[in-house]
Amino acid sequence: MKRTSEDGQSKLPDNTALKQQQLPAYRLQLSATGVLSCFFATGVFCLGMGIILILSAKSIKEIEIKYTKICGNCAKLREDATNFDKECTCSIPFYLSETMQGNVYMYYKLYGFYQNLYRYILSRSNSQLVGTDLKDVGNCAPFSKSHDGTPIAPCGAIANSIFNDTIILSYKLNSSIPIKVPMLRSGITWWTDKYVKFQNPSSINLSSAFAGTTKPPCWAKPVYELDGEDPGNNGFLNDDFIVWMRTAAFPTFKKLYRRLNRIQYFIEGLPAGNYSFNITYNFPVTRFKGEKSVVLSTLTWSGGSSLFLGLVYTVTGAVTWLASFSMMAVHLTLKDRKVLFIQQ
Amino acid sequence: MGWQQSLQESDVSKVRTIYLNEPLRNSFCKNVISTAKYSMWSFLPRYLYLQFSKGANAFFLFITILQQIPDVSPMGKYTTLSPLMIILIISGIKEIVEDYKRHMADELVNTKTTIVLRENAWKTIMWKEVNVGDIVKASNGQFLPADMVLISSSEPQVTCYVATSNLDGETNLKIRQALLATAEMQTEKQLSSLSGKIECEGPNRHFNTFTGTLYLNGESPVPIGPDQVLLRGTQLKNTQWILGIVVYTGFETKFMQNSIKLPLKRSNVEKVTNVQILVLFWLLLAMSLVSCVGAIVWHEWYGEGIWYFRTKDYSSLSFGFDLLVFIILYHNLIPISLLVTLEIVKYVQAMFINWDEDMHYKGNNVYAMARTSNLNEELGQVKYLFSDKTGTLTCNIMTFKKCTIAGIIYGNFGYSESSPFFLSLSPSVISECCEFNDPELLQNFENGHPTKNYITEFLTLLCVCHTVVPERDGKNIIYQASSPDEAALVKGVKKLGFVFTTRTPTTVTVEAMGENLTFEILNILEFSSNRKRMSVIVRTPTGNIRLYCKGADTVIYERLSENSRFKKETLSHLEYFAKEGLRTLCVAYADLTEKDYQQWLREYKKASTVIQDRMQSLEECYNHIEKKFLLLGATAIEDRLQARVPETITTLLKANIRIWVLTGDKQETAINIAYSCKLIAAHMPRIQLNANSFEATKQAVAQNCEALGTRIGKENDLALITDGETLKYALHSEIKRSFLNLALSCRAVLCCRLSPLQKAEIVDLVKKHVGAITLAIGDGANDVGMIQMAHVGVGISGNEGMLATNNSDYAIAQFSYLEKLLLVHGAWNHFRVTKCILYCFYKNVVLYIIELWFSFVNGFSGQIIFEHWCISLYNVIFTSLPPLTLGIFEQCCSQKSLLIYPQLYRISQAGNTFNTKVFWFQCLNALVHSFILFWMPMKMLENDMVLQGGYTTDFLFLGNFIYTYVVVTVCLKAGLETQSWNKFSHLAIWGSIIIWLVFFAIYSFLWPTIPIAPEMAGQVNMVLACPHFWLGFFIVPIVCLILNLIWKSIRNTCNRTLLEDIREMESSRAQGLHPPTIFKRRYFHTVHDFPKLIKCMPNRHLELHIPSSTGSYSVTPASPKVLLSVDGNFILLVS
Repeated sequence: MKRTSEDGQSKLPDNTALKQQQLPAYRLQLSATGVLSCFFATGVFCLGMGIILILSAKSIKEIEIKYTKICGNCAKLREDATNFDKECTCSIPFYLSETMQGNVYMYYKLYGFYQNLYRYILSRSNSQLVGTDLKDVGNCAPFSKSHDGTPIAPCGAIANSIFNDTIILSYKLNSSIPIKVPMLRSGITWWTDKYVKFQNPSSINLSSAFAGTTKPPCWAKPVYELDGEDPGNNGFLNDDFIVWMRTAAFPTFKKLYRRLNRIQYFIEGLPAGNYSFNITYNFPVTRFKGEKSVVLSTLTWSGGSSLFLGLVYTVTGAVTWLASFSMMAVHLTLKDRKVLFIQQ
Repeated sequence: MGWQQSLQESDVSKVRTIYLNEPLRNSFCKNVISTAKYSMWSFLPRYLYLQFSKGANAFFLFITILQQIPDVSPMGKYTTLSPLMIILIISGIKEIVEDYKRHMADELVNTKTTIVLRENAWKTIMWKEVNVGDIVKASNGQFLPADMVLISSSEPQVTCYVATSNLDGETNLKIRQALLATAEMQTEKQLSSLSGKIECEGPNRHFNTFTGTLYLNGESPVPIGPDQVLLRGTQLKNTQWILGIVVYTGFETKFMQNSIKLPLKRSNVEKVTNVQILVLFWLLLAMSLVSCVGAIVWHEWYGEGIWYFRTKDYSSLSFGFDLLVFIILYHNLIPISLLVTLEIVKYVQAMFINWDEDMHYKGNNVYAMARTSNLNEELGQVKYLFSDKTGTLTCNIMTFKKCTIAGIIYGNFGYSESSPFFLSLSPSVISECCEFNDPELLQNFENGHPTKNYITEFLTLLCVCHTVVPERDGKNIIYQASSPDEAALVKGVKKLGFVFTTRTPTTVTVEAMGENLTFEILNILEFSSNRKRMSVIVRTPTGNIRLYCKGADTVIYERLSENSRFKKETLSHLEYFAKEGLRTLCVAYADLTEKDYQQWLREYKKASTVIQDRMQSLEECYNHIEKKFLLLGATAIEDRLQARVPETITTLLKANIRIWVLTGDKQETAINIAYSCKLIAAHMPRIQLNANSFEATKQAVAQNCEALGTRIGKENDLALITDGETLKYALHSEIKRSFLNLALSCRAVLCCRLSPLQKAEIVDLVKKHVGAITLAIGDGANDVGMIQMAHVGVGISGNEGMLATNNSDYAIAQFSYLEKLLLVHGAWNHFRVTKCILYCFYKNVVLYIIELWFSFVNGFSGQIIFEHWCISLYNVIFTSLPPLTLGIFEQCCSQKSLLIYPQLYRISQAGNTFNTKVFWFQCLNALVHSFILFWMPMKMLENDMVLQGGYTTDFLFLGNFIYTYVVVTVCLKAGLETQSWNKFSHLAIWGSIIIWLVFFAIYSFLWPTIPIAPEMAGQVNMVLACPHFWLGFFIVPIVCLILNLIWKSIRNTCNRTLLEDIREMESSRAQGLHPPTIFKRRYFHTVHDFPKLIKCMPNRHLELHIPSSTGSYSVTPASPKVLLSVDGNFILLVS
């Protein structure tokens, strides 16, 4: 009791605006004019943006071909895991009615493949992929070690289930022999993945670097032999591998596969005409009731199709306008109203 | 009734025996005190125990433990532990700082030195080494180290003076006197040879009681009473030295016994919040179960074909495992930071109350003090105010104004005391110039009026019959009195020439008209609230034995002898005094014969050595001699109303607060005060309940209820006046209910002559049966019961000691400060706390329900969409500031408006801003927002081609989109909730968004340099470079908030409240526009008054806010808004 009185005296308050709760403050008052002008401005902005986005979405040329049913034989073959060593190819001709201007990108798209399962995402070793510790397979269950106990590189369920179809696009110029459309398999990954997150273990050559490890059970070739054409595209630095390792958010997703090398006939993009996809069908999807497709697409300033955003902007703009008009109507009828308090 | 119980419990504590000079036989507790909560070693376990006994913290501890199970946590092992640690550390630091201060103060006290007799010599030792049975020597000005029995002192008559202001706040000195049996014990030798024992009651918390007996070897036992006891915490004054035997030490001293912690009160908002947390917990379980079922269904559907991931066989074991996964996944639905946020917010709010200059009483430099911060928001919800009268509504500065002697009334009838001249003066000046001043009395005295003898006797009585101690300060005499009434009387008669000059323990000397008269005091029969009187038995200078008594009229009148005169006249004068609002005391005397007195004295001695229930037996004994009085007259003392009391009461009534005055004073006085403070208007009909039997009470209550008819239960312009006697029956369980109904139907309730217990009972009755928030305000020890009983207890730190203040939740210096405390601090704090709570829930639901939405697309596998640490830092960093600024700085409207329009208080009072409905509406709003915040980015990214260069993205890319949008939306939502933006609001809202973006940028570059967050590596460059991100950055929060904005605008326009109008007025005033005209305090009783109004504002539509109780004209109550067309030009919207 003594103490509190002493305390009280030593802490005499002073008369500042903060302590007297008199700090200058702006009172947020939803006044009619404020709200209305804000709504009008928002409406105009949204409608404008919406129209721009819808127009740019319309300018995108996109073609998607689902090939699970078309290559039904192959799909059936892959349902049985024991047929893994039997090759199955499938050719899908199609006609491109309009030229695809500019850069063209080729994607594969999977339906019903859950890359976002908790334990699936968990099943990888980032320290292995960055090349520091090849033997660190702790999180990779159930694909961490082979039967004889050798660590798997790259370990884990994600790496094991890599998309392993080969898709080759060929163009039939003047109905003669088809020519292979030149495609680039580099530059399809995020910069940080290629240069920071994924690194091969340092050694004289790749095969010795991966000595003491074994390939994932579903893989046909070890990681250091993924790309026979470009030796730099092997090991953990293989672009297709890196792309696959970024696990998608939804069960239906696209992954960038190739981009058009704009040379020869293809400087302008993909000309209209007859094309065909030659697919080596390896990746089983019918077992999980899924589908596969291949997508060719151009991009605009905002990346891919922004139709949804365009619609959202337009609808929001329209709704705000509608709201502001109706509020203005109400406001005008009540404009002259004044408030009078009568106190008893 | 915890307060009463604890009193009774400590009453039956054990008797203790203290052996003199035998230190080994006295083993009691040490004299070390510790007011600290923790010691160095006990801190961690005790603190953790206290924290984890809170439900929410225990829940998060449970989650943390769950997360340690390998693989069960989708969010890592330490993501709940870390914010929990941060929160525990923050409140731990607060505890340590507070406890450190206590330790320092304790240490200071424990190491003070005192002189003690050890091994036949005086030794200087520290306070903590003092033991029971030690003989302590203290000198002038020193504080006493323990409770002790006075043995001897330097003063004649072995007296000493002590200042007890530390204990009871009373500023007067108290006199203590040692027993004659020990008075000569002064040298070391005498003291060391002392042998015998002291028997006394066990430790208790009553300052003014002590019963003990001293047994000295070879002598007869001597009783020891409170007069011989010196308490720890008191200070020795005007005395060179004293010697005392220690009886209670350390925690057993009365001082420490009184510092026992009060029971914790919880606010209404807190209770509602706890219930919602519990509901949310069940919701969390439900969500987890649904997700588990979802997982089973998904496995049924897909489980077979998932070749890319060998799933385990689905069994009951994994069902349980999944349940834990989902509980961890959704656990953040319960806001982890809510408790600590509220703690900080309320702490600052309490500081605002302490700092408030408007509640600073310059008179004695006292600031308002929030002794607890738990109840800040409860201040905004008070519906029933229970006020003490004396010292609360009035100043408790007594002035002797009038008297009646032998049937003749004296007193100044001059100028009116309520003139503005007096109000502007300081209280001390008023008390000087308004004192008793009637030349007639002196004339009558000097001129040998027939009543001269009565006048002499009357004035002598006032000089002798009291417990005032005179202190000489040069020529002046300062009177030290524990009762302000007594001081007023003694001062009053001093002016009339009867000066009380000296008091020794056995005598009182009076200078009566220049002549020194010495009265031998034989006995003092103390005042108690039960007895309502005090008497002294004296031997007059002429050698007669006489008993002087003064007390309440009822107790005196029933003890008057048959041949007492002036009964009737005095009674009518008493009524007159009471009507004036004066406090009255009757004075009477009785002559005793030597024989009667000696007989009574034996009885008295017997009663005074009883150890158990000594007070009771003494009172009985007193009763035997207090009889056959002869009436002399009565005194009237004025107790002035405090400044601004009528205005405050008017304001509080407008704020829809019902005011009940509960007083121990007389009915007439109370009614008078109620009039003068405008609680009761002159035209107000009164219901008086005064009955003296159960049947009569029952009948009166029933009769009045019947008379009210249908108006019962509604607020009527009535005043109910009742007294303690009637209440004794009215609070009987049988008619309690109907009495309460009757009381609730009245605008003002006045209960007089109540005992402290009855005050508490009434508060309890309203609290239990009405379910509204109650506030009790008082200043004296008799108000402690109701202060503790009410939801909010307010103590007035005034003249009547510290007891009320020490038991209160808020202490203020003046009744009028209640206006600011309730209308401004209460209303603001209520808005702030509720907004803060709602917002905390909102932001958590928004973020964490997204996990549920994501579960629908990831096969209920338990994957989270955000990065672990982002999730756990959400509450402690990225969105921690907006709730703080909402809780600390938010203002619904300015202080000025709140005070000018007390009607605004009704908003917080009704609690419409925070109840189950509002809570779940807010949760629903959060649910909608979270859905938009998940669905829109999902649709945006569904296409997977959102980046220049055609790169595809991953799940965390989506997560970062959503997370950023959530932070932006949630911060802007706080902005939308903030009605008063100051610099801190800007800092919090924009700062939080910026902090997240900066964190995001830094965090994405850590891997692999620092082995943390590999999945975040490179996210920031891709996310910020993505045009879709920025397109969504604008539109997603807008889509979320535009719904709220439209909703708000609609509500503002269609269902406009007073608050909106006032806010609009304020903002237009701030912008320098002409504010809408507001007519204040104008009375329009009938429809015929409208033309007057119309003249004021031609060609305008008028909206009238008319209180529903006006009702002088008929508007169908069924439709709240009615269009009244008065004439062609006007439309009246009547609500």
